[in-house]
Amino acid sequence: MNEEDAVPIDMRQLLAFLRPMPPVLDEDTADRLLTGRLDPADAPPGYAGVARLLAVAAAPAAPEELTGQAAAVARFAAEVESHPPTPIPRRTGMPSRMSSVKVTAVVSVVVLSVSGVAAAATGLLPSPARWVAEQVSSTSHASSTSRGQGDPGTAAPDSPGLDKATTAALCQAWQAGQGASNGNRADSAAFRALATAAGGADKVAAYCQAAADGGTATSSKGQGTPTGPDAAGAAKAGLCRAWQAGQGGSNGRRDDSVAFRALAAAAGGVDKIPAFCETTTSTSAHGQSAEPHGNGKGPSSPPTTLSSPAAASPSASGPPSSTGHGGQGQGGPPTTG
Amino acid sequence: MIGPSFPALLLAAQGGDEQAFAILWRDLQPALLRYLRVAIPTAADDLAAETWMSVIRGLAGFRGDERNFRAWVFTLARHRTVDWHRQAARQQTDVMSVELLGDRPAPDDPAAAALEAQSTRAALVLIAELPRDQAEVVMLRVLAGLDVADVARLLGKRPGAVRVLAHRGLRRLARRLESAGLARGVTR
Repeated sequence: MNEEDAVPIDMRQLLAFLRPMPPVLDEDTADRLLTGRLDPADAPPGYAGVARLLAVAAAPAAPEELTGQAAAVARFAAEVESHPPTPIPRRTGMPSRMSSVKVTAVVSVVVLSVSGVAAAATGLLPSPARWVAEQVSSTSHASSTSRGQGDPGTAAPDSPGLDKATTAALCQAWQAGQGASNGNRADSAAFRALATAAGGADKVAAYCQAAADGGTATSSKGQGTPTGPDAAGAAKAGLCRAWQAGQGGSNGRRDDSVAFRALAAAAGGVDKIPAFCETTTSTSAHGQSAEPHGNGKGPSSPPTTLSSPAAASPSASGPPSSTGHGGQGQGGPPTTG
Repeated sequence: MIGPSFPALLLAAQGGDEQAFAILWRDLQPALLRYLRVAIPTAADDLAAETWMSVIRGLAGFRGDERNFRAWVFTLARHRTVDWHRQAARQQTDVMSVELLGDRPAPDDPAAAALEAQSTRAALVLIAELPRDQAEVVMLRVLAGLDVADVARLLGKRPGAVRVLAHRGLRRLARRLESAGLARGVTR
């Protein structure tokens, strides 16, 4: 208790006006303050409290802030159910069936990959996500089952459409799963795609064997990277980045995960991953931005690109939000009391 | 921020994977909720849910990296608040008094609760005392992890104007804490 604390509140506030105004911050200090990079102890006079206040405002999530998760995921699942994910709309006229098979397969691989990434590199994920990561590894088979069925592309029996890297990744995942969850595996979109490519579920083993023999040969020749914009590029980039990020840390566990085995398979060997990722990160950067619009970063980056998700849900009632662009959209929700 | 695994997670979520979506949700929901609690305390939870609904509907069409994603989500959230204000105005609700009633902060000064009890809710109440545009800029910079250019684009303002609003907001907060007698504080 110092003297000032004894002064009544009103009086204290009055006194505050007699104090000098806090100085105007320079740009760099303001920036560090706003991004949480300014230690209160280093703050200019008058701003230590602000630094602490902003740190408190940006504190890690409290449990009560995450109570809506189940509801949100349920809404997500319902939406996926009623509007199954459609292949990425492309401006260039690509043969849609072919590409949708590819996309479906790749997306499924990524799901498997994600589980691997998460399991192998828990250090990469923010801690709140860790438990999800643990769950992902155990449930990804089941979830991919329910997801895949709506996709029209997977049904197409006549277009294998799997490039070497995808095949290798799928085969790796297939072989990895053989011991464990045999039942689920055959149902997933990814493995249906693999079975389709192989010419039947019973031929997958032989197909993978053949692909492994031929596949490693070609990829060691350096033709492994697919040409043109390919969703596999994005997946690989993600894996590569995860792999690179994890290099310092948990090396041992990393190599074990399905995801990194798949990466190793695509690279043509564990020891070839660095070189593989070296090339992929540069090419896939193109792939990613080329995918949506075919031109540079321009229109693809503004968040409002979204206004065109008409492709995703053309039929049902339009998204109420996307109408109100920045304030000009006319109506609010129709619930006028 | 999710970091290196974001592209793979996004792709998986776009393919309909629930776990991937859950990871994205957990990463952004706290910041989103806090942004909305400052903007419209009485309706923050509902508006957050509506925002996620927009995200879910638009997810398949989204292209971009993690920062683009965050900017997009907060853009959608902002649209919700704009709609909310419009609707409130139509219903002739007294927006100001509703906002001020907000979450009914404890009778104690929120400044004390924020700094001494480390209460995030109290910190948000304090930031919400700022003029709306200042509070918005501060929240987007501090919580959404967006830089000046992102925020400027999101708000449809010039970068210079965003900087000025941030400066004013920070200065006002400094004064506010000082008047509460809490500005000295590292050692308290």
